[in-house]
Amino acid sequence: MNILVCVKQVPDDYVEIRLDGAGKPATAGVEIVNNAFDTYAVELAARFCEANGGAVTVLTLGKDGAQSGLKNLLAVGASKAYLITPPEGDADENCVAAWLAAAVQKCQELNDEPFDLILCGKESTDEISGQVGAMLAEKLDLPFVSSVIEAMPIDGGLSARQETEFGYIRYEVPTPAVFTIAKPGYDPRYPTIKNKMAARKAVIPTVSAAEAGMEARPARVVCLGYAEPPHRQAGVKVQEKEAAVAAAKAVALMAEAKAL
Amino acid sequence: MAYIISEDARELLKDVRDFCENEIKEQVKEYDISGEWPKEIYDQAVEMQLHMMDVPEEYGGLGLDHIDQAAILEQIAWADAGVAVTLNGNGLALKPVLIAGNEEQKKKCCDIIINGGWGVFALTEPDAGCDAANGRTTAVREGDEYVLNGRKCFITNAAVGDFFVVTAMTDKSKGTRGMSAFLIYKGTPGLSVGTHENKMGIRCSTTSDLVLDNVRVPVENRLGEEGTGFKTAMKTLDLARTWCAVIAVGLAQRCIDEAVAYSRQRVQFGKPICKNQAIEFKIADMEIRTEASRQLVAHAIRLADAGLPFSKESAAAKCFAGDSVVQTALDAVQILGGYGYSREYPVEKLLRDAKIFQIFEGTNEIQRMVVGRAVIGKI
Repeated sequence: MNILVCVKQVPDDYVEIRLDGAGKPATAGVEIVNNAFDTYAVELAARFCEANGGAVTVLTLGKDGAQSGLKNLLAVGASKAYLITPPEGDADENCVAAWLAAAVQKCQELNDEPFDLILCGKESTDEISGQVGAMLAEKLDLPFVSSVIEAMPIDGGLSARQETEFGYIRYEVPTPAVFTIAKPGYDPRYPTIKNKMAARKAVIPTVSAAEAGMEARPARVVCLGYAEPPHRQAGVKVQEKEAAVAAAKAVALMAEAKAL
Repeated sequence: MAYIISEDARELLKDVRDFCENEIKEQVKEYDISGEWPKEIYDQAVEMQLHMMDVPEEYGGLGLDHIDQAAILEQIAWADAGVAVTLNGNGLALKPVLIAGNEEQKKKCCDIIINGGWGVFALTEPDAGCDAANGRTTAVREGDEYVLNGRKCFITNAAVGDFFVVTAMTDKSKGTRGMSAFLIYKGTPGLSVGTHENKMGIRCSTTSDLVLDNVRVPVENRLGEEGTGFKTAMKTLDLARTWCAVIAVGLAQRCIDEAVAYSRQRVQFGKPICKNQAIEFKIADMEIRTEASRQLVAHAIRLADAGLPFSKESAAAKCFAGDSVVQTALDAVQILGGYGYSREYPVEKLLRDAKIFQIFEGTNEIQRMVVGRAVIGKI
């Protein structure tokens, strides 16, 4: 089965991002990494292909410099990678989905065979809109399952295990299909040193927006601004010498705050 | 990390750092208490190929630049020095094979390591530590075989070894020129593991006696010519000392990182303790010592890579890094005060781990002899 994983590159989610003076996320100097949910998708795809045959292609819409993240994915299960430069300008999720749909077609053309399954992370760790995978399926007119944590081959298609807030739901879909991937019960593998060194030497094909048939689109959803969550207020110190008195005072404070 | 390495090596190092953070750093606490050899950690390290960094590319190895390799080993030592010692044990065992072995021996040992096996270098004996030439293990030739008898001690990885490089006296009357080196494979009758050391530190590495009771090995298992064993062992140690120093540097860096993190958040007299010059200067000295050690290491590696003499520099790096890491670990304990002395905090383990770096791979007294004699020259 040929699987494509769409990978967004985001500021390292281990770093707490504050707003700069202009009210924008201060991401300068923060390392750019592959979106965590997309790396889960690559691992799920790699395991699927190891068990059932097939190959994993990874795609990033990004600027020059994004090759590094793609090379890292070639060390952990992907066999092909493409970097496609999107048109300039702000984009909403609908734009990105339209560009990705064009990019999917271009990658199929370059691979000279169609994809059976297209995966996206269920959301990116920077903007967390969680919309692009579903919109991409809509643009490609393909069946879609969100928050998948397991995929299994069945006759003519795939079964998918979706994680919900209440448990799991199993679906069947014909291929090709689009899934978004939640955190499965495992972590992405570490690369072997040999694979990593080979991957770092790879040359990633880069395709321009024009070559991929992407057009600039006006964003219909406009971001007006960001705000940080309110800072936590300083707590109250209970400093009574007697434990019983301190406990009573703490309970009284919690009761007053309706926390009990 | 002050090694100057390529962008690709930095990316590789990031993966190693993630592995160390996620799979080693916290997990080793339990093994440090139990003294159990953490097979789960080593299985994952083998999966990542961290156990085979010394296998040359022509024998299926990784082809890592040695400075990149040092950066990776330092990172592993940062997480746990014992884990680094174990993984580096394969390099230690492979060195004499690469120095003195024939093609078949090199290929066989490299294949064992590539397939996840462990190599062992067995030189030290109860009465032959610094005085390595005073070994009592003997190898007596009988036809096409040698019969080895004796006991080796303080042998890293003996309990898990798949191949063993063992030195033995083939002619005691010739002194150092009467020593030969042999390759013995796991399962050879008469080869067994004796007492396990219950060590003060680096408890994630396993150290044991190796007992040779009428072990018969074919003549083709001899490494090099008869009588070259001492020379092979000394060349091995020349190279190995540098890597021992790399591990000491990683451990020292961890001491610095733990001490800095604590001193930034520990408030006394209304300010973080790092704002006191007494602490600031101590941290500066820790950093200066560690960076100096690292650069001595890098210099020794570059000399060896260039085919230039490096024995003195390798001994100097090991000696300085070994002394430095002990002082740096002591400083870290001092900065953490009572918490530094508590097993609830990580630095008391670092101090226990540090002490061995003044002792193994040639004591620091021996390193000073090597350096001193090299500087003074023959009289």
